Amino acid sequence: MQVEVQPGMNGHFTVKLSGELDALTAPRLYEKLTQLVQQNPGIQKITLHCSGLTYLSSAGAGILLMSMDNFTPKGISLELTQVQPEVYNVLDMLGLTKLMTITHA
Amino acid sequence: MPKYALHFGATLENLPLIRYFVQQRLKPHLPDSIQLNQVTVAVEELCSNSILHANKEDPTRQLRLQLHIQKKAIHIYLHDPAPPYDIHSYPSEPQLLRKGTLRPGGFGIYLMRKFIDRIHVRRGKRDGSIYHMVKEIS
Repeated sequence: MQVEVQPGMNGHFTVKLSGELDALTAPRLYEKLTQLVQQNPGIQKITLHCSGLTYLSSAGAGILLMSMDNFTPKGISLELTQVQPEVYNVLDMLGLTKLMTITHA
Repeated sequence: MPKYALHFGATLENLPLIRYFVQQRLKPHLPDSIQLNQVTVAVEELCSNSILHANKEDPTRQLRLQLHIQKKAIHIYLHDPAPPYDIHSYPSEPQLLRKGTLRPGGFGIYLMRKFIDRIHVRRGKRDGSIYHMVKEIS
């Protein structure tokens, strides 16, 4: 899985994800997001750009949920955009589409 | 009816290989990409549970995944050297939805049960366990 961080304005960062988010790669994404927050104290919002994310398993969904759980008390919002239909279906089945801002590709 | 098999060691490094195997073999029988992805997710969840929990990521332990494609159903078998666990003893909803908390417990088994029509577990003839998932196709 590829993770590319793009700093934006006013504490808004975009993280472009591509490839597959599974039990092997999910911990790496969590580490990247945690580092991003630690290294940028003024961060307010992280947008995960998911047009290149082709697969998501329960481990990937769990990491997204854990990230949101950790970032929300710090005042940081996490949203997913350009999510492919197959990935959206998994997120929706788990109820995450009701908890997070997630938009279709 | 076609039958396919994949042998792999119990390491998460093999997850992409498992996905590729399932998608390549089932694509002609599941033309809908959402349905194909659902079966792929269910198979991967089953395999990753066995790799992580039953076999403690020991790559020397060998598992065998079989796909038997029939006219009305796809039968998926996972032969695991470890003793079986009872999939049906887990909650029917993930903890997230059941308790309203943000704990992602039970996601994998929940997806398996949602995406597959039937799951059976039994002990192997000599040792280990055999997981049998059935996906009905129209």
